[in-house]
Amino acid sequence: MAKTKKLTGRKRDERIAAYIFVTPAVVLLIAFLVVPMIYTAYFSVFRYQIMRPDAMKFIGIENYIELFQDKNFWQALKNTVYFTIIVVPFQCALALGLALLVSKKFRGVAIFRTMYFSPQLTSMVVISVLWSVLYNANPNTGLFNSILTSLGLDPISFLNDENTAMNSIIFMSAWQGAGYQMMIFLAGLQGIPRDQYEAASVDGATKFKQFLYITLPGLKGTIKYVIMITMIQAMKLFTQPYIMTQGGPKNSTKTLVYYIYSEGFQRGNFGYACSIAAVFFVIVVCMSMAMKKVTTSTE
Amino acid sequence: MKKAISMAMALTVALTTAATTVPVMADDPVELTIWSPTDTAAIEAWWEEKIAEWNEANPDIQVSREAIDRSDSYAYDNKIATAVTSNDLPDIFYVDGPQVSYYAANGITVPLDDYFSEEDLSDFVDSAVAQNTYDGSLYAIGATESSVAFYYNKDYLTECGVDVADLDSRTVDNPITWSEFAEIAEKCTTDDYVGAHIIMDHGEGLPYALEPMYLSAGKDYISEDGTTSDGYVNSEEAVTTTAYLADMIAKGWANVEPITDEFLNGACATMLGGSWEIATLTENADFEWGVTYYPVNDDTKEAVSPCGDWAAAISKNCENVDAAGQFLQWLMNTENVATYAAAIAKPATRISAYDEEVMADYQEGNLALIKEQLENTAVPRPRTPSYAVFSSAYAEAMTNIFSDAASTGEVDNDYIQSELDVVSDTFTDDYETYYAE
Repeated sequence: MAKTKKLTGRKRDERIAAYIFVTPAVVLLIAFLVVPMIYTAYFSVFRYQIMRPDAMKFIGIENYIELFQDKNFWQALKNTVYFTIIVVPFQCALALGLALLVSKKFRGVAIFRTMYFSPQLTSMVVISVLWSVLYNANPNTGLFNSILTSLGLDPISFLNDENTAMNSIIFMSAWQGAGYQMMIFLAGLQGIPRDQYEAASVDGATKFKQFLYITLPGLKGTIKYVIMITMIQAMKLFTQPYIMTQGGPKNSTKTLVYYIYSEGFQRGNFGYACSIAAVFFVIVVCMSMAMKKVTTSTE
Repeated sequence: MKKAISMAMALTVALTTAATTVPVMADDPVELTIWSPTDTAAIEAWWEEKIAEWNEANPDIQVSREAIDRSDSYAYDNKIATAVTSNDLPDIFYVDGPQVSYYAANGITVPLDDYFSEEDLSDFVDSAVAQNTYDGSLYAIGATESSVAFYYNKDYLTECGVDVADLDSRTVDNPITWSEFAEIAEKCTTDDYVGAHIIMDHGEGLPYALEPMYLSAGKDYISEDGTTSDGYVNSEEAVTTTAYLADMIAKGWANVEPITDEFLNGACATMLGGSWEIATLTENADFEWGVTYYPVNDDTKEAVSPCGDWAAAISKNCENVDAAGQFLQWLMNTENVATYAAAIAKPATRISAYDEEVMADYQEGNLALIKEQLENTAVPRPRTPSYAVFSSAYAEAMTNIFSDAASTGEVDNDYIQSELDVVSDTFTDDYETYYAE
C-alpha cells in the first residue's frame, strides 16, 4: 500500500515537472501565436483603417467577399503557389546533391560544407541587396549581364521583366536556402549503414543504383521533413520581393505575405489585410495536411 | 467566443494601463521623446548638441531622441503605423511633408496653432506653411525645405557636343524644356553612360520628384481640395507626361535600375536630383558639374519645382503638449533652423535664417538657385488624407510602367492609361471608404 502511494507521489511529481517544462513554451505560443491568430480573425470582420482603431466598423464577411473578387489576391496566390511548386523540388534536389558531394571523406571537405552553408548565416536582406546588384540589367553594373554580354549575348532584365523576375528570385532563394537542407540531408546520409553499400557493391550495383535503391529509401523520412519545411518557408516568401522588386513588375512577384504587408501597412487597410492573413493561414494548413497525407500514403 | 475576445482585449488594456500609469512626482521633470529619421553624421551630431543644450537649460523638460531607419521606401511610415496600433507613439515625431494631412485627418497629431502665431509663420516660406497645414490648422513645423533641379556633367556634355554655356546661362524664367532634356539625354547616351537619371527610389521619391512635370503639363495628381484623382492622375496630360518619361527608359536614355549615386559615379550624364546633391557633389565629384532649373513643358512653359521636407509634429499620445510645444518653439528658432539647414545641406524654411552666417552660401551660386526655385516655383504636394495610399499606388504604377518600357523597348499608352486608372481607383476607394463625408 505504502509502495503504491510512493509511486503515485512520483507520478504526480513527474506530471508537475512536465507541466513546469511545458508551461514556458505554451505561454509563448499562446502569446505570440494563438492570441495574434484570434485577433487576426477578429479584425478581419471589421473595416479598420490602421490609423483609426477607434473608428472600427463591423462589416461581417464583406472583407472576404471583396477578397475573393480581388484580382490582386488571386495574382498573389498564383505567384506564391508558383514559387512554392518550383522552389521546393529545385532547392531540395540542390541540397541533396550538395549533401552527396560533401558526404564523401576527402581533404578540405569541411571547407566546402562551410561554404555551402554560409549563405544561411547571412541575412536575407543583405543577400537580396547583393543579388539585386548581380542581376542589374546594366552590364556595367550587373555581373550576370556582364558575363552574358562578354559572351556576345543580349543583356537580360532579370528583375524588371515580368517573365524573368520570379524565376530570378527562385534561383537566388534556392541558392540561399539549400545549405540548410544540405546539413539535414547530411545527417540523414550518415544514418544509412555503410554495410548496405558494401553489400550492393559486392553484388555489382552501380553508384546510380546504390543511390536509387539504398540512399533514397534510406532518406525517405528526411526527404519528407525537408519538403515540408521548405514548402512552409516558401509559402511565407516576403523579404526577397520586398527588397528586390517591391512586388513588381506588373505584380509578377507579389506574394500573399507581401500583399498582406502592402494592404495592412502601406495602404492602411488593416481589416482587409487581416482577412487575407486568415485565408492565407487556412491555405497553409490545408497544404501542409495534404502534403502529410500524400507522404503518409506513400509509406 | 466574443466574450473571450472582449476579456482578452480588456486584460490587455488593463495591463498596458497598469504598466504605463506610473505616478508622477510633483518635481519630476517632463520627459519628451522624439522620433526622426536616421541621418548623416553631421545631423546626428547636431541633434546631440541641441538636445544637450536644451536639457541643460530646461531641467524641468528633458528631451531624448530616437533615430529611426528611413530606408529608401516606406520603412519609417510603417514604424509610425505600427506605433499607432500599439498605442506607442513618441511625444514628437518627424513626418514627411505630404503625410502631414494623413496623420492630421486621422487624429494622430495635434494642432500647433497655439505655439506658432501668424507673425511667427510669416517668417517661414509659404510652401512650408501650406504643406504642413490641414483643414486650416498647422499640424507640423519643419526647419528645412527641399527642391529638385537638373544636374549635368559639364566635362562629359562638352565631349558630347552639348552647349554647356547655354545651360549655365538659363534663368528661372527661361529653364530648359522637356524636349531639350530628352535631346541632351539622347546625345549623351553611349555604352558607358546613360543620358539621364530620373528615378530616385521605389517610394515617395517618385511622386515627389516627378510631380512638377505633371503640373507643368497642366494637371496635378489630385484635385486642389484633395478629394478627387479621377481626371487628374489618369488625365490625358498625365498619360502624355508619363509616356515622355517611359520613352526615356524605353530608348535606353535612362536606367530603370540605376546604381547608387549614378551621377556622382560618372555613370550618367545628367540627373533630376534633390537640392541636397549639391553638398555631396561639391565634396566628392571629380568632374566639373553644373545645375540649372527644373525643366518645363514645351507647350505651357510653366515653371514648377518640388518642395517639402520632414517636419516635427506632436502626437496624440503626448501627455504634456505644452512642454512639447515649448520645445518645438525653441527648436524652430532662427539660429536652430539655420544650423540644422546647414548641417543637412537643405534650404531653410525660415526666411530670417538666410541672414545667419552659416547660410551665407545661399546668397549666390548653386544654392541661390535652389532658394530662387523655392521662392518662385515651389508647389507643395497634394494635401489629402489619402496621400499615403496615393503615393504607394503611384510608385507601384510607375515602376510597372518603367519596367514595361525597359523590357519591351516601347511605350504603350494604353498600358500607361490602365496603370494610372488603377492609381486613381485605389485613391478613390481609400478616400471614399475612410474620409468622404
